[in-house]
Amino acid sequence: MELETRHEYREELERLETRALEGLDLVVAALDRTTEAIQHQDIELAELVIADDDVIDGRYLEIHQSILTLLATQAPVATDLRLISALLHVMKNIERMGDQCVNVAKLIPIAGHEPPADERMTGNLVTMGGAIRAEIRQAKSAFADRDVELARDLVRQDDVVDNLNKECFQLAIEIGDDADRREWAMTMLLVARALERIGDNAVDVGEQVAFVVTGLFREFEDASHPGAPLARPQPAP
Amino acid sequence: MKLSHGETASVMTDTPESSSDVRHERSVAPRVEPAVRGDGSRGMPAPATPRVALEGLSAYYGDHAAVKEVSLEFEPGCVTAIIGPSGCGKSTMVRCVNRMHEEIAGARSAGRVLLDGLDLHSREVDVVAVRRAVGMVFQKPNPFPTMSIFDNIASGLRFTGTSRDELTDRVHAALNSAGLWEEVKGRLSAPGMSLSGGQQQRLCIARALAVEPQVLLMDEPCSALDPVATLKIEELIGQLTDRVTIAIVTHNMQQAGRVADTTAFMLNGELVEVGPTEKMFTNPDDERTEQYVTGKFG
Repeated sequence: MELETRHEYREELERLETRALEGLDLVVAALDRTTEAIQHQDIELAELVIADDDVIDGRYLEIHQSILTLLATQAPVATDLRLISALLHVMKNIERMGDQCVNVAKLIPIAGHEPPADERMTGNLVTMGGAIRAEIRQAKSAFADRDVELARDLVRQDDVVDNLNKECFQLAIEIGDDADRREWAMTMLLVARALERIGDNAVDVGEQVAFVVTGLFREFEDASHPGAPLARPQPAP
Repeated sequence: MKLSHGETASVMTDTPESSSDVRHERSVAPRVEPAVRGDGSRGMPAPATPRVALEGLSAYYGDHAAVKEVSLEFEPGCVTAIIGPSGCGKSTMVRCVNRMHEEIAGARSAGRVLLDGLDLHSREVDVVAVRRAVGMVFQKPNPFPTMSIFDNIASGLRFTGTSRDELTDRVHAALNSAGLWEEVKGRLSAPGMSLSGGQQQRLCIARALAVEPQVLLMDEPCSALDPVATLKIEELIGQLTDRVTIAIVTHNMQQAGRVADTTAFMLNGELVEVGPTEKMFTNPDDERTEQYVTGKFG
């Protein structure tokens, strides 16, 4: 009974998880550059973020293909099947986070080389970038360690990001009557929104941790009913 | 030696307990008379399928307990798959249901097997009637080697006293139910052994169905078949659940996933876990089930 079997399959599954979670490292690297590009309103660095997104997209395609192969050849079930399902979700989140970095990077040049930047606004965005970076790293640790509590803690962290996003909105309102500054502030609101979505994606990764461990999928927070008790998954009719 | 339903019936008909057909009718659940189909052929009956309940069932070979106090239900109109590594007792368990286990020298069982509440292991119940009510299909197709396709099906019916006039219709209906009619209708007098492996297995299913059982036990029915023949048997299993309660022993977990409503996992003679097949293969409760279905041991 204790005889270990399916070595190659197990190794492939472990390799797949490692490669998928490394995708989160790629996002962290892209986010670091994005945050720096925001801080310095650096158009060249922003262009690098856009160019390097191909690496993240490539990782997504690689994992997707490997998962299809594993499904077709190994017929995984139980925890293995849940892990594979979760990795598909996580890779999609990684791909989306990469795209959001690209969205930010595309916004930076709009205001030109010497934009009328507001230091409080850029400071807020940089703080957001740092908080989201921490979220992504925590999501990776939670997944690798199958730590549901650490995954749930992402909600608390993401609340910080959401509040910073709201503060950006307030700062934009208060930025004054200068048309160029207002335009720049509006652009940075879009940046804040894109960053905020990256945080949401990190929370989504955390929800997949809970699914792998418990077999039940449920959102940590129901955006459509904030504060309401979360609905339990319903059995199929 | 593995006996088909018909063989078993023929062997046991001579026993004192089974000498009276009247007693058969009294000792197992009442049957519904075969319905007449719209096309004029005599169809298989569609009785309410029974619930099989094993209560604290143990089975022994001498002093060795191969099955240990298993309590499990085969739900009416459902397919229950029994999975587990070789030697876990799953075949022995299903062979207790139609009392084939007791045919082996030194073998005995304890506990109850209830067919809609009737204890099939009771002294009052006739073993031939049990095997008529609980048909069985085995791992290796075992048509009677010297008989034609027709006679393979008819043999069991002849023991049940089916009239000569009725025989043809019943053989036709059984072959139809097993999805074999279109393939053999022009050569019913050909030897059963002339069929392909998959066809032979469906012939054996037809033979089991011909005597209108209420329960069908299948002990790895596809393990000797190619993938296409396997899928035909699986399709057939799905079509039979409105007339028989089915229990299938299988080593093929994908097969359990495809055909079974409920899956039971056995290990070392014990029932480890039973539940909806979907749950057993996505989120089993017991760590041993998890390890087995994911292939961490086996």
